[in-house]
Amino acid sequence: MKRSGILAACAAIVGGVLTATSAFADITILAWPGGPAETALRKVVDSYNDTVGKEAGSKANLLYFSRDNFFDKMLSDSAAGSKEFDVMLTATYNIGKYAPFMTPIDELATDAVKTTFPKAALDSQSYEGHLYGIPTDLSLHFLYYRKDLIDQLLSDDAWKAKYREISEENLGTAMDPKAPADWTWDDYIATALFFTKSINPDSPVRYGTVLQLKNLLFNIMVWQGTVQSYGGDWRDADGNITVNSDAYRKGLEIYKKLVDLEATPGDSNSYEYAEANGAFGTGQVAFMVQWSAAYAELIDPKQYPAVEGKFDITHEPAGPEGPKTHFHSLGLGLSKNSDKQDEAKKFLAYLASEPAITMYAREGGQPPLNEDLIKQVSAGRPDILAQGEQAAKYGMVMNGGTSAQALDIYTVMAENFTGYWNDALDIDTAIGNVETAMKKAFGKE
Amino acid sequence: MAAKTIGLDQGDKAEARVFLAGLCVFLALMLGFPTLANLWYSFSDVSFQNLASTDFVGLRHYADAVANPRMWTALGFSVRFALLTTAIEVGIGLVLVFVLHPLLTKRPWLTGILMLPMMVSPALMGVMYRLILNEFTGLVPGYLELVGISMNFLGRANVYATLVAIEVLQWTPFAFLILLTARQGVAYELEEAAAVDGATGLRLFLHVILPIMLPAIAIVAFIRFIDGFRVFDHIFVLTGGGPGTQTTSISIHIYKLFFVQNRLGEAVALSVMLLVAALALLYFGLKLVVRRTAR
Repeated sequence: MKRSGILAACAAIVGGVLTATSAFADITILAWPGGPAETALRKVVDSYNDTVGKEAGSKANLLYFSRDNFFDKMLSDSAAGSKEFDVMLTATYNIGKYAPFMTPIDELATDAVKTTFPKAALDSQSYEGHLYGIPTDLSLHFLYYRKDLIDQLLSDDAWKAKYREISEENLGTAMDPKAPADWTWDDYIATALFFTKSINPDSPVRYGTVLQLKNLLFNIMVWQGTVQSYGGDWRDADGNITVNSDAYRKGLEIYKKLVDLEATPGDSNSYEYAEANGAFGTGQVAFMVQWSAAYAELIDPKQYPAVEGKFDITHEPAGPEGPKTHFHSLGLGLSKNSDKQDEAKKFLAYLASEPAITMYAREGGQPPLNEDLIKQVSAGRPDILAQGEQAAKYGMVMNGGTSAQALDIYTVMAENFTGYWNDALDIDTAIGNVETAMKKAFGKE
Repeated sequence: MAAKTIGLDQGDKAEARVFLAGLCVFLALMLGFPTLANLWYSFSDVSFQNLASTDFVGLRHYADAVANPRMWTALGFSVRFALLTTAIEVGIGLVLVFVLHPLLTKRPWLTGILMLPMMVSPALMGVMYRLILNEFTGLVPGYLELVGISMNFLGRANVYATLVAIEVLQWTPFAFLILLTARQGVAYELEEAAAVDGATGLRLFLHVILPIMLPAIAIVAFIRFIDGFRVFDHIFVLTGGGPGTQTTSISIHIYKLFFVQNRLGEAVALSVMLLVAALALLYFGLKLVVRRTAR
């Protein structure tokens, strides 16, 4: 009797273990750390764990690397076959690079999902016809400008006269100031010069603008709206490299002029996102082109009291092709190394659902949603409205910008173009070096 | 005769082997395996997609590494940076040793305070200076502005000097520590005898103390040169190797080849070549020091 009791107990334990292992396991999500994106994702993950995850017996946990060299760390882990995370970060500009380490999730692109997200958003997370990520955050560039300064410029006759004088002296034409939404790149330059103290000692701020000139690939994304507005692209429809063009020269020269005339801080060559925000946030810069994510930071009066209630956003200045902006999306996809493919897909399906992704937006995330959903979630978030509108009207992805070679190309551009802006290279050498590297990368030698 | 005095008998040798075995196994695992793996990768078509199944491609990556003009620019930067920072660090270290030696003999705890800069991680040092030197929020430009001086430390004209200064500020304490130890090793009797013979001040330093300290100076210069040559952290944090490639060191070049350009084979081949060069330098450097010491 005693023996059969022990056997029964053993059977119960074994049965229990088997039942437990056949249930869904917990998963780990490697996501972009810090800022509104982390806050929003934590809320969505909590909601998943309380509802769908709980029913399935699977808990989702979050894992965060630091932002510095995030993608390098993820690449090393993926290449080494790491199973430490099941869901991983995706970005438009490196999907091609990470695709070999990911499982396509085409079956998650249901009709409901296609209604929730615009097609362009799903395309920005696709590579070679397969969907690899659920888009969670859209990134593009706004022109952030000081309303108070621009209002005075548009109404003060003395300022207008000075503006005409400065533009004639530096651009060869006496220009009249315009509202930022009507700016061309020449207006951008002229206004930057007007608000630069070394050129106009009466300027209430030290610099007209702040450029991000550090040798960093993301800074090229900020800059390339200039090229796009002049009709420039990486390649033509036949795949030929087209960087040796007037559009690229014009884009490079716009920045060069601002650097040479010292309309941007002298140490801009070490600036990236944070430094540009810092400069604008001190109230010493009149306007800047910056990532859309900065809006949520700059409206925080604790962080940036000097610009509280004083700035607004609009699209980038226009070229002959109108205003343009680089855009990409970040998202979450499925690691090929994961042993928990079904569990990870369950979470991603939840994330792509309308209730989850709208919750993500309300909690501070910036997902690319269809127009109706954006209107639902945009209360108090003018940036999210502007994002949707600008991505649709002006958003542009360079031809080849989602390829496996994209990061390499951005890096070569950063190296050469920052060299030109800082007098280390002439424009022909800089463009020539980039063209050679691109031909090699795309097999066009 | 001397060899006999320090030689080991058979029993001692066996014991020494046992004690050394653990260290050797540890080194073989932690250094030997990665070195061999890298050696293989430098001859193979390795990429992030095929780390476990690579094919032999001969010397292709070595040829690519040498033919890459960016490599020569980065190498030039690293050599210049290393020579300049080494000379300044050793020079300042020597001056500090002779100025502070009497004080530190009486109050040795002060040495700990002087060592603080080298306790900070170089990457953190980069982040610190990114804040401290920023034109809008940095303390240093802020204070300079109060006295009417406007300066962009990380501007294109000053960026190189700023990077050198940061390296020197962080690592001069290391040179100072080694040189101080060497200075303290100079026998007092020797100094006294030299003084009796009329050698004081500069003559005592040049003809007695400096020759005794030369091996230590050579070692510290060698270590600082190697460290300066492979500089990465604070430059990467502050400038990313730019503007252009103006501050791209050889380590940053290798990092970009590996992680950004997916040219793993070329990056590893270049690392192997630099390792061989460093070992050759180490061999001849040590030989020189040992020969001088033996004299």
